[in-house]
Amino acid sequence: MTAVLLLALFLASGLAAQSGVHLQDGLYAAVTDDPDVAAILAHDPLFTVHLVDSATLSRGLAGYDLIISGGRTYTAETEKGQAALSAFATAWRHYRNTVYTAEDDLFAAYPLWIDTVEVTSELDFTATESGQTVSLQPQGESVPSPSGPVEEVPTPPPVQAMPTGDLKEKLASGGNDQVSRYVDMVSGGPDLGHFKTPSQLAPPLPFDSLIYVFVFIFPLYFTSQFYMMTIANERVDRRGEALLSTPAGPLAIILGKAVPYFFLMLAVSSAIILLTGGSFLVLLPLVPVIVFFLAAALLIGMTARSFRELSFLSIFFSTVITSYLFFPSIFANVHAISRISPLTLVVLQFEGTGFSAADYLYATALFWLSSAAVLWLCVRNFNEERLFSQESLTSRIISFVRGAMARAHPIASLVALNACIIPLVFMVQLMYLVLLFNIPMPFSLILLILLAAATEEVAKSIGIIAVLRGTPGTFTWTNLVLAAVATGAGFLIGEKLLLFVMIAQVTGSVFGTILFSGVGLLWVPFLLHAGGAFILGAAVKAGGRRMYLPGLVIAAGVHALYNLILIGGAV
Amino acid sequence: MNARHVWTVAKKEFRGIGQERTIVLAILLQVFIAMFSSFLVIGLTSLYDPASMDRSGSVYAVGYAGADSPLQGILEADDTFAVYRMDLSPAVAALKERQLAAVVYVPPTPPDAVESVQVTLYTLKNDIQTAVVGVELKEDFEEYETLLRYARADRLSAAPIEVAVPAGTGGQSFFLFIYGLLIPLLLFMPAIISASLIIDFITEEYSAHTLDTLLSTPLTFTEILWGKVFAAWVLVPLQGGAWLLLLGLNGIAVHNIVEVLVHVSAASFVLILLGALAALHFRDRTNAQFIFSTGLVVVLLVALAAPANPANFIVLLAAGADVPWHWAALAVVLCGTLLLATVIDRYARLIARRAMA
Repeated sequence: MTAVLLLALFLASGLAAQSGVHLQDGLYAAVTDDPDVAAILAHDPLFTVHLVDSATLSRGLAGYDLIISGGRTYTAETEKGQAALSAFATAWRHYRNTVYTAEDDLFAAYPLWIDTVEVTSELDFTATESGQTVSLQPQGESVPSPSGPVEEVPTPPPVQAMPTGDLKEKLASGGNDQVSRYVDMVSGGPDLGHFKTPSQLAPPLPFDSLIYVFVFIFPLYFTSQFYMMTIANERVDRRGEALLSTPAGPLAIILGKAVPYFFLMLAVSSAIILLTGGSFLVLLPLVPVIVFFLAAALLIGMTARSFRELSFLSIFFSTVITSYLFFPSIFANVHAISRISPLTLVVLQFEGTGFSAADYLYATALFWLSSAAVLWLCVRNFNEERLFSQESLTSRIISFVRGAMARAHPIASLVALNACIIPLVFMVQLMYLVLLFNIPMPFSLILLILLAAATEEVAKSIGIIAVLRGTPGTFTWTNLVLAAVATGAGFLIGEKLLLFVMIAQVTGSVFGTILFSGVGLLWVPFLLHAGGAFILGAAVKAGGRRMYLPGLVIAAGVHALYNLILIGGAV
Repeated sequence: MNARHVWTVAKKEFRGIGQERTIVLAILLQVFIAMFSSFLVIGLTSLYDPASMDRSGSVYAVGYAGADSPLQGILEADDTFAVYRMDLSPAVAALKERQLAAVVYVPPTPPDAVESVQVTLYTLKNDIQTAVVGVELKEDFEEYETLLRYARADRLSAAPIEVAVPAGTGGQSFFLFIYGLLIPLLLFMPAIISASLIIDFITEEYSAHTLDTLLSTPLTFTEILWGKVFAAWVLVPLQGGAWLLLLGLNGIAVHNIVEVLVHVSAASFVLILLGALAALHFRDRTNAQFIFSTGLVVVLLVALAAPANPANFIVLLAAGADVPWHWAALAVVLCGTLLLATVIDRYARLIARRAMA
């Protein structure tokens, strides 16, 4: 069956390569009285072309996007009409190029050649740190003069030594710049230098990174799916019971099951690196991503109640994590935010810029720490009681957390739990940052403040709720105060420790100040964290589960207010 | 087959979806994507065509080095650029410090020389703004090329026919991206999700051994199957409609919404039936999902290789093109669906009979 399918896949891709992808055929309706123009348009599948005589055309025609007559173009006054005109401009340029490429005197047909040289910006990120992008616009009337040292740039030679035959060949083959550009990059195709005619001048796109993200992330995502599935299969039918009764501990089972997938993912990544001719240093930032994928797959496999839930959770997870990895790396070299994604390091390595140990620590620390926290949670809960129960998702997570705590030392557990939760909170907050930093400044700041506050309060409440649910009787008001203090302390310890590890760009920016309450004396953020935990805990203690949401709103409101005042003081 | 029985099974699946909050996750996912869809659109269209990014009258500083040429005049006449005459080395240094957007070096080659005029263009590596500057520069270079070509016209043997195309016609990529790519992608996403849902629906009954319990009720195996298919299929127009609504809120008008949804629903029914077939045959989720996803790629490739496929119709209809024969094509798709449905119905009956025996 698999062999048949693979053969079918092979044939189908052959068919698709042969006939092309027909997705936009006949999108624009064009009419002309000129057979030559009709012939040009007939080559472009985007158009349906109608050739009519001049008399019909002069009577006027409705319902066409584009009318070409007597060497002039007329378009419908719609967005589609404009699009059709632009598509025609491209088709006509292609036609003109074929005519000129057939000329004997190449340099009469193509008199101008552009040699493109790309230089690396030496700007540090001081300006982008404050959330602005540096413009390339002139500053005042005077001629710009470099402030740093001026390196001698050799005068380019007036004529490039390249055989005319090669140039002609290149002109004839250069049909679709956008596509060949990427195909060449990945396959390492023939490099004819940067020598181009003006019409071939594809603007230098900042999106090369896009390709790397897709090429590297998608195989990882698919492989982790299989790990997710084996974990879920252990639970279906209680198939894993036999495995659990063996002397192998939960850690041994989890790791043993993960090892094949880990190496498979490494192998796939290595194969891609070999194919693209990259450096194996690229594996360094990929390993924490692989570990994180496996940890998340384990958690999803252990928490999903059914295959449907598994499907949706994995789709949701992959969308979120892909945007986390993907969006920042688009802005590699442009914005400091880009450094939070390990994929940015991959892009930098491929570009030849490389990355420093500090960059590595900064981009991957959250991945390592989050994976460790999730893995630990899963190991503590990899037992019969948890694996085969049928709770809903949220209460399952709560019981996981409760299961991971030491019952004899609830306060110490709360401190530790909240310290461990910090990497995950940071990840979520950086995700907001990634999504929101494109929005104009005041909106992005306000949204960030609100979302960040709500996330922190939710994270802090998990531990308290877990204890409250586990042993409802012991939760007196005194104990609640103690629990809130422990939560605040744990949160603060985790936050400060992690900030200490990640002394880097984002934490110093305006965005960083909001997210991480970076400034101020230690007791102020401590009071805030403990206070928020107390509000939410008190609400749930007094009003039960129904009061969780109102409690969250109040706690997040207080938190957001504090941050707003902090920003007010800082600005 | 009893329609009420089918509906009972469908209701059961809906309840399952609702209880497990899977549908909540699906909606969250949709809102999540919609949240940055405007960014997605801008970001990805600029990948497609950087010219669509920014034409808001920004002025970019450009350094001009080397010999005098008409190019300097062309650049100066362009409102987009402030041109500074500089020496090459300081100009490149200023470019690195981002005081300039680009540096152009022109050699002293005469316009009617035998060899080419080779201009060197220095730009910043991997920079979004440079992409915009590059588009503007390209237009000026093309103008200079025309000028040079005119000076060498007597050396050319043939001239292409001339059609006046207004300059600076950007924006087609934006249109093409939205209607030609984004909309079909978004609309077929629910179809693919539903197809893998049906696999979960069916294999779950096998793995949890709940099928026997279900069959002990007055329900027949085929009724159970069609109930599940119906539950998975109904989600497609609902989710597809939600996407179109969200696009509308983002300012993207979609034409012929009803026809578009009808086509998507019809095509997705085929995918769901294929998923059901895989699930019936393999009974195990891992195998069924793997075979189905590989099969899905094959089906999509073959469908897209054929001109006038359902996805193409959706693009044309959504963009407001006139497609008089799309109902006929729909009829063809429906015939195929019917055929496939009959095959699956037979197969399900066969399985049920074998189980009885």
